[in-house]
Amino acid sequence: MSWRRQFSKISALLSGRKPADLGDEISAHIAIEEEENVASGMSRTEAHFAAMRKFGNATAAQEASRDAWTWRWLEETLGDVKFAFRQIRTNAAVAIVSVLTLALGIGVNTAMFSVIDAAVLRPLPYQQPDRLIALFQTEAAPGMYPLTGADYLDWQSQNRTLESTSLYGWTQYTSIGGGAKPEPGMVMPTQANFFDVLGVHAALGRTFARDEDASGKNHVAVLSYGFWQKRFAGDRGAIGRTVRLDGEPYSVIGVMPKWFGFRFSADIWTPLDMSPETLGPRGNHRWNAIARMKPGLALAHARADLLAISKRIEKQYPDTNEKINSIVVPLKEMMTGYTRRALLILFGAVVLVLMIACVNVANLQLARAAARQREMAVRVSIGAGRLRLLRQLLTESLVLATAGSLLAIVAAWWCVRLIQGMETLPIPHVNTIEVNAGVLFFTAALGIAAGLLSGLAPALQLSETRFNNELKSGSRTLAGPGAGGRNVRDLLVAGEIALTLMLLIGAGLLLRSFIRMRTSDLGIDSSNLLTMRITLPDKDYPDLPARQRFSDALIAKAAVIPGVQSVAMSLEIPLEGGTNGYLKVDGAKDPYIEKQLVGWNLVTANYFATFGIPLLEGRGFTVADMQQAAITSDAVFKLWKAAKGGHFQVPANLTLVAVISKAAASLFWPNQNAVGRTFHWNDMKVTVVGVVADVKEYGIRGDGTEPRMEAYYPYPVLASWGGQAILSLKTRVDPRSLLEPVRRAVNALDSNLAVFRARPMDDVIAENVQDASLQTALLGAFAVLALVLAAVGLYGVMSYLVAQRTREIGIRVALGAQRANVIRSVLKHSAKVTAGGAIAGLAAGVALTRLMANLLYGIGPADPLTFVMVPLILAIVAMAANYLPALRATRIDPVIALRWE
Amino acid sequence: MGGQKPEPRIELVYGALEMLILKTLVWGPRHGHGIAKSIEQTSGDTFKVEHGSLYPALQRLLQEGWISAEWGVSENKQRAKYYTLSRAGRKKLTAETTRWERFARAIAGVMRPAEPEQES
Repeated sequence: MSWRRQFSKISALLSGRKPADLGDEISAHIAIEEEENVASGMSRTEAHFAAMRKFGNATAAQEASRDAWTWRWLEETLGDVKFAFRQIRTNAAVAIVSVLTLALGIGVNTAMFSVIDAAVLRPLPYQQPDRLIALFQTEAAPGMYPLTGADYLDWQSQNRTLESTSLYGWTQYTSIGGGAKPEPGMVMPTQANFFDVLGVHAALGRTFARDEDASGKNHVAVLSYGFWQKRFAGDRGAIGRTVRLDGEPYSVIGVMPKWFGFRFSADIWTPLDMSPETLGPRGNHRWNAIARMKPGLALAHARADLLAISKRIEKQYPDTNEKINSIVVPLKEMMTGYTRRALLILFGAVVLVLMIACVNVANLQLARAAARQREMAVRVSIGAGRLRLLRQLLTESLVLATAGSLLAIVAAWWCVRLIQGMETLPIPHVNTIEVNAGVLFFTAALGIAAGLLSGLAPALQLSETRFNNELKSGSRTLAGPGAGGRNVRDLLVAGEIALTLMLLIGAGLLLRSFIRMRTSDLGIDSSNLLTMRITLPDKDYPDLPARQRFSDALIAKAAVIPGVQSVAMSLEIPLEGGTNGYLKVDGAKDPYIEKQLVGWNLVTANYFATFGIPLLEGRGFTVADMQQAAITSDAVFKLWKAAKGGHFQVPANLTLVAVISKAAASLFWPNQNAVGRTFHWNDMKVTVVGVVADVKEYGIRGDGTEPRMEAYYPYPVLASWGGQAILSLKTRVDPRSLLEPVRRAVNALDSNLAVFRARPMDDVIAENVQDASLQTALLGAFAVLALVLAAVGLYGVMSYLVAQRTREIGIRVALGAQRANVIRSVLKHSAKVTAGGAIAGLAAGVALTRLMANLLYGIGPADPLTFVMVPLILAIVAMAANYLPALRATRIDPVIALRWE
Repeated sequence: MGGQKPEPRIELVYGALEMLILKTLVWGPRHGHGIAKSIEQTSGDTFKVEHGSLYPALQRLLQEGWISAEWGVSENKQRAKYYTLSRAGRKKLTAETTRWERFARAIAGVMRPAEPEQES
């Protein structure tokens, strides 16, 4: 085509101008032909028809001529869309149900995808994130461990594959002073180059300078955007102001961008004092590290490099570094890896929901197909080809799907707002969850797929219409659309049942495992138990007596609060994880024992009573134990201070007592009485005075590598381990009601202290399985959604089938068929379809639920109860959906039925 | 061409119809029916002009500006649309004729290499 014709097409399109007189011209042509025919002796009528025949398909000629003026495909598509809207108007109910069903299916997919996009798909929002890695260490015991300070310094100086490395600590509960009352905040200490390694800049001010991680220079703070907004109301003058962290002044040097997040959420970042004394000795896994690989290097290079260094260190320091190797993982894997599987399973679930929605819409369209067969016959008779019909029908489905997609985007946007508003969410806070261009593109693709998927079966069936049969067949039809149509519908319904069953099985497994989690024995009595964390700053509580005075005073004050039954202080509480290390069991010959990690906790005498942990052997702690421990700890603390972080020898006369868990007792002294036995902990001789029941310290589930053994030491030892402490109260009243009184008691002793994570133990438990409860709730909701959709689909199909068979059933009833027989004949068919779908669904369920194995707790993916109960529930719902139409069949009046057209 | 017994009609090659229409219009304005009839007759009924392609072809020629159209009255006092060859159309026809003659000679040369060329 020449440019001139293209141009005239565009101008025709824009002006809406069309060769309007083509019809006239063709009539004129036929008239001339007719005249000639008359002249050659034909009769007028004969001449007219001969001329018409000779010209052929006038409409087609006209369309072909119009093609010269416009792009016909565009015109036809616009026509199809217009026609689709007319169809929707005339069948508003069907259209609304279809659009809503599709909107539901596409909406949950869009929302889910925006979560996956943020948590799994998008790269980390740092500079060249694929070069970023996270560093860990191994131990003699299995698992991945944080780094020891001394090893890190060696890795940092000796590696050849890393451009830069940076150390960071765990976030610390810190009292932020300066306001009316001390506020609890999370402070994360980092090496000065932390932000440089990530390649992120401050939104306001600057991040740390190179030398600011040295002792004395490190009193500078970078604020998170949220904290800056909260504390300084977004004032740009915040730079240079002072914040008090545990009483120490820090000057604000920068504010991070709003989007910035890392592994732990933090309010403030401060430089870590990088002196070897602060970082601590080998063998003490306390720090986390990230690194940036040199450009062009692969993960394997960094792995080999660090492993070689680790081997050298192991040879050099066999005492502390035996079996301590390096582990290198991509930073993204560390930050998002743990949620990937759960998210992908949930995503699979919403895809199934969408498929079920499509099947339902397809069924609705199929039901309408019967009514539209005459329309199709007319279209075929005036020259529409099969492809043309297909195109028109698919356009109709696509219009529905587009409307559904638009609604879905609104719904997903709303869902995402809801998710953004959630305080704690068991997904990584790296990328913001949002409905962005990528998500919209996904929705558009999904909308098109849904339109085609839901429209294909009806379109294929309708476009097969043989116009001769249909136009000739008159209005009386016995079976409606042919048997072929019924097969398609049966197949769709069976497929729907199969998909629903898969979802239900998944949800059933998660629910069962969640119930197992919530009912699993933690080893404690969590009712009426309030816990909170307090941090005693080193500046105000520099030595053991000061800390001891505070905790004694707090326990005394808390114990007299009305409603309090018992008060305990400890370093750790159950489920929240803890500290652990190796013990030397005196006289043990099995080297296996010394390779076992044993957790340890520091507790006051009332700890076991407060948490309801039963004493099995010996005795609990006494006041005398506490006093002896205080003397021992004070002496050790002084030695430690004198050694300035270096090695020091504990004198043999300094001893401790301990209560150990049943698991520890049976490991150290199997089938023997543990009370009175001794072991060495950090070169200190410890005598066992009692054995208590096992408690889940590391979460309900754990990863299988956490220590099962626990040793409890008297609380005053805490003095040597920093000022973190947890106060727990067993109450006679609702634990929440004591929150404020306890807070007041704390601040009456020290007005600078904030209280952290104050919550009933039951909340701690709920939080511990929050991810599982969210997964269960989501998958459960999706499964219920699927079940409702499937029931509606089944109901629709059966109703339609009964309506189709009205005449046949009428004849049967007229001939004396019993009510029960009629119901049976209707139910028999649907039972066959349901059973077929269920078998397919069970088979697929067995295959797919294996992927869920590591999300489950206490049950296997082939849990028999789930695989029996779920199909049963589905069968009941399916039969209920069938029963109404079947009942209607029995009410058919034979007289009316026989007149049924 | 044109033998004793009636031979089956031949479909026109794409693009050839346009050329034949232009040629027909050299002798003066004609309406669609007349053009079709003229082509059929002058080709000795070898070509059948499908009306489904005649009118689209006329539209294309109109768009290129090679012909123009006007409503008029036929010999039988009937309303009809008359097509007239434009100056550009005449030029196009000359070019097309030359091109066509070369094309036909080449085809003929390939198909009947031994026989002398026939003048039309």
